[in-house]
Amino acid sequence: MTWSRRFRASKTARTRNRHGLTYPVIRGASKRFSRLSKITMKKHPADTVIGYFGFPRRKILRETRERFGPDLPLVDLDVDMGAPDSGILPATTCRIVANVVDNALSLGSALAAVVAAVGEDKCDRGRHAAFLLRKMGFSVIESRFPEEEFESRPLVFSRARLPLREKIDRIMATVVDPSAPDPAPASCEPTHGFWGVPPHDFRILDLFPETTHVYGWTRCVEAGRPSDVELECRVDDAIPTIFFTQSFCAKQDLAHFLAERHRGLAVDCHREINDSILAKVEAFVRLSR
Amino acid sequence: MKIADCGSTYSKILDLDSGALEIVATKELVRRKSERYEVATGHCARGRCAVYRNELIALAEGGLALVADGDFSLVDVGGRDIKFVRLKGRKVEKLDWNLSCGSTTGATLELLGNYYDIDFSTLPPSDRWVNVTCGVFGMERVLEQISLGTSPEESVAMFLHGLVRNVIDFIGRPAHFYLSGGFCENPCFVLTAERYCRVTPLGRTVLLEGLKKGLE
Repeated sequence: MTWSRRFRASKTARTRNRHGLTYPVIRGASKRFSRLSKITMKKHPADTVIGYFGFPRRKILRETRERFGPDLPLVDLDVDMGAPDSGILPATTCRIVANVVDNALSLGSALAAVVAAVGEDKCDRGRHAAFLLRKMGFSVIESRFPEEEFESRPLVFSRARLPLREKIDRIMATVVDPSAPDPAPASCEPTHGFWGVPPHDFRILDLFPETTHVYGWTRCVEAGRPSDVELECRVDDAIPTIFFTQSFCAKQDLAHFLAERHRGLAVDCHREINDSILAKVEAFVRLSR
Repeated sequence: MKIADCGSTYSKILDLDSGALEIVATKELVRRKSERYEVATGHCARGRCAVYRNELIALAEGGLALVADGDFSLVDVGGRDIKFVRLKGRKVEKLDWNLSCGSTTGATLELLGNYYDIDFSTLPPSDRWVNVTCGVFGMERVLEQISLGTSPEESVAMFLHGLVRNVIDFIGRPAHFYLSGGFCENPCFVLTAERYCRVTPLGRTVLLEGLKKGLE
């Protein structure tokens, strides 16, 4: 049994709906699925949700909820929720985009709408996924995050002393709920860096010490600037950094360039992390101290 | 006490008491269900040892045990992957591990050599190369060359040349590097690599040296 299956079986079996997805989830009950908002069902069938992917404009998320139901939970379709492989996309598709399509098809009629980040803040494949979902009959609302809406939110979690898994999960939760954490976690000086997007398989994050700072697109999310390439490429030169991407993601271009320039380590992974990738990261974390 | 480097295609087993070194095809090792080691590394070592060591760490420590230079590059070209460390002032400055695309080329070369009865000890290097994106794509190029009339020996040497270019690009095109692994015993590989830079083979026991160092 793979780790993700073990995890799902042990942590989330009690909260599965008829689609096999874990919902509704109260934030904090499961770190891995805390990107589902806490809700109370009212007018809608018990399993109706609004899906989103990437970092949609807050205004569009708000308008979609007003239109389809303010009580409906928001579900991040980027996240691996154990949906069956739909086979719609080629095998050489970034796993995150494949998750979006697989999750949407698995949810089916329970998905009231999909708020799709399709601008420079996401990628062509995300845009194509939105197009395909619309062709398949889903209600898709496109979002392109403009520079005029860039925020400059403090980097509370990116610089916090917390397990990296929790740090990234809480950053991604700010897409739906950007309110400042109270109390805020303590910050720390970085010993290591993690650059990139939230991985499909979170096990890789467990290898990093709590003093790992978050960079790249995930930091851009916390700052409220999802297509700010300058911020995305800003790292601390003296900090040994893993530049992580999903395989077949265009961000591999940036990761390889930055890893060479900053003597970091570019790591890519398709689907689940394997022992070799874990060993590679473990060696880097240990030898670069 | 026995320590082992159990690679994907070959396993190196060292008896620290007698000093005896055994190199065995991993396909045979996997049939020795009860064989256990005190310390081991490699893809096939898990579950066979009291203490498991990370391969890259074993490589780096083996390099430090065998090389006196302050600054050096060391690459292990295996059946399944390529592991690389660059040290500056005897501290790790850069490391990498080619796992997926570009890997399995060593094992593919052995398959090709067996199929075409190639003697690598006498195989002359080729000036030409094929693009070895990975083992499967590289094999397709070899088959294509043979269908175009190139001899199997020349075609396999071209594959090996492509593999050498991948390795040298992967490790940042240094002026000199130390080589670890089975390719140290492949003159065609070493001669091809020397077209690009100086090469010092260290043999197949570098990771074992790293394991020994870890015991100190």
